[in-house]
Amino acid sequence: MTFELDAVFIEEGSRGSALASRIARALPPEIPVAFVPDGRAAAIPDGSADPFGAGKRRMVVMRRRTPFLSGCPAASPRFVCCGYLVLALASNCPMDCSYCFLQEYVADNPGFQVFSNYADAFGELDRLSHASPGRHFRVGTGDLADSLAFDSLTGLSSDLIPFFAARENLTLELKTKTCEIGNLLRADPRGRVMVSWTLSPDAVFRSSEHRAASPSERIAAARAVLDAGYRIGFHFDPIISYPGAERDYAELADALLDSIPAARISIVSLGGLRMTPALKAAARRRFPDDPMLCGEDVLAPDGRYRTFTPLRLKLYRTLAERFERAGAKCFPYLCMEPASIHERVFGVALRRPAATAERLAQA
Amino acid sequence: MSSNAKTAPTADASVEHQIRSLAEKRHLPAPHLEQWLGLDAPSSARFLEIAQKLRLRTGQLLGALDMLSEIAVRERADVAAILSKPSVARIVDGAGSAPERAHQFIEEVRALRYPRLRNAADRIRTEAAAIRLSRGARLVLPKELGSDELTIELKVRTVAELEKFISALGEKRAAIARIIAMLGGSDDV
Repeated sequence: MTFELDAVFIEEGSRGSALASRIARALPPEIPVAFVPDGRAAAIPDGSADPFGAGKRRMVVMRRRTPFLSGCPAASPRFVCCGYLVLALASNCPMDCSYCFLQEYVADNPGFQVFSNYADAFGELDRLSHASPGRHFRVGTGDLADSLAFDSLTGLSSDLIPFFAARENLTLELKTKTCEIGNLLRADPRGRVMVSWTLSPDAVFRSSEHRAASPSERIAAARAVLDAGYRIGFHFDPIISYPGAERDYAELADALLDSIPAARISIVSLGGLRMTPALKAAARRRFPDDPMLCGEDVLAPDGRYRTFTPLRLKLYRTLAERFERAGAKCFPYLCMEPASIHERVFGVALRRPAATAERLAQA
Repeated sequence: MSSNAKTAPTADASVEHQIRSLAEKRHLPAPHLEQWLGLDAPSSARFLEIAQKLRLRTGQLLGALDMLSEIAVRERADVAAILSKPSVARIVDGAGSAPERAHQFIEEVRALRYPRLRNAADRIRTEAAAIRLSRGARLVLPKELGSDELTIELKVRTVAELEKFISALGEKRAAIARIIAMLGGSDDV
């Protein structure tokens, strides 16, 4: 286990679950385990000075009371969306990136929740798969949590990979900032699992991505899973504008493309830093000395602080051109941006969202 | 605030009293008062001096505190050092009425906080002004270049006026296209 935990709480109803047993077996003996009647009570803010930070170190094994599968919460008619579907197997993340949207999104229940009834998600996925046999879906577990951060403890990937490997129209995307790929290297994804890394330049990693693997470690891990038969993707998101950012992002893309041939990368997404006023306030409160939170961000029409448009687009173009020149087969896409921005960056209007989703699921 | 600011001694009793008094008079929210009092002693004192001299209003105090604290983090400098930049000092100690200088002061702090935005916006504004649309027509740039959307405003009372505007816009098509391209980051930013 790479990440530290202060305690583990197991909901009584999850006591005998496979997940609770696996965690109890793998947990270092010094970490206290307690049983609680309702995991939700253990997940709420604890009254400390930094309840969100404290929640990251308090694992709660509990049942999920709502569906596991949903559309991406970032989807909006304002934006051209990629059709990503979210499978919420956990909530919160042991890493602590200063810009993370979870600081606002799970502020009211920051405990690190892992859902013991995750097998129910397989039923939801099968219903989706059978309802639309002619369509392909990309389903990710890395939205409300890092997909792999605690995989050595939970072993979730060992159940997920065979499930997806057996379904032709479902692609699993495991999104991470870690190098926790041990379980992945022992499984056979049969081409239906994609592992993707969020990538940032060293300056952003050092300043903002606390407890994450370094960018070079992430690239090395990507190379290893590619060689093990996985598809791989990269998310340059959030792209942060700071002095020297254009040069740093270009060098990051070059370092990536030196290690991994562009043609073997399945997806690349780009997204500028975007923060609601509430998120920005929370982030600045928790990380008052992080210069990455003090870029040239202005209030955009969608109510989020974003790098002012010409500079944001320049950063997108810098990266997009790098991949194009390297002969990337994948078409980079933008996250949470309107159609006009896609057209300005890539020179063509993006196809219908459904077509984009289909293409990305099969990438 | 920068790490320098955290380790330096904070405002002395007399300065603190004056800050609290001004904050009360201006109905400054508690977090901003804390932010001000949390500055190192030279920074809080210098900001107080400027606030009194330029008679900064509540919104100006809030905006300046926020922007100065962010500049301090980015430049790893303390607020006193930022306020002693020649471009700021020239305004604070210059001629003109207090409200006029207060406005200039805020604009200068904004320029320090958003230097590339300021440059890009100035360039686009200059190009837009050079188009010289006829009276009743106006190019409205997106606020703080927060989007890539250019608004073209026409005030018409008759169809003939409308046709005249459309024809005039057609003649300026290339120049307007250039503004649209600049909003999309076609130039150096």
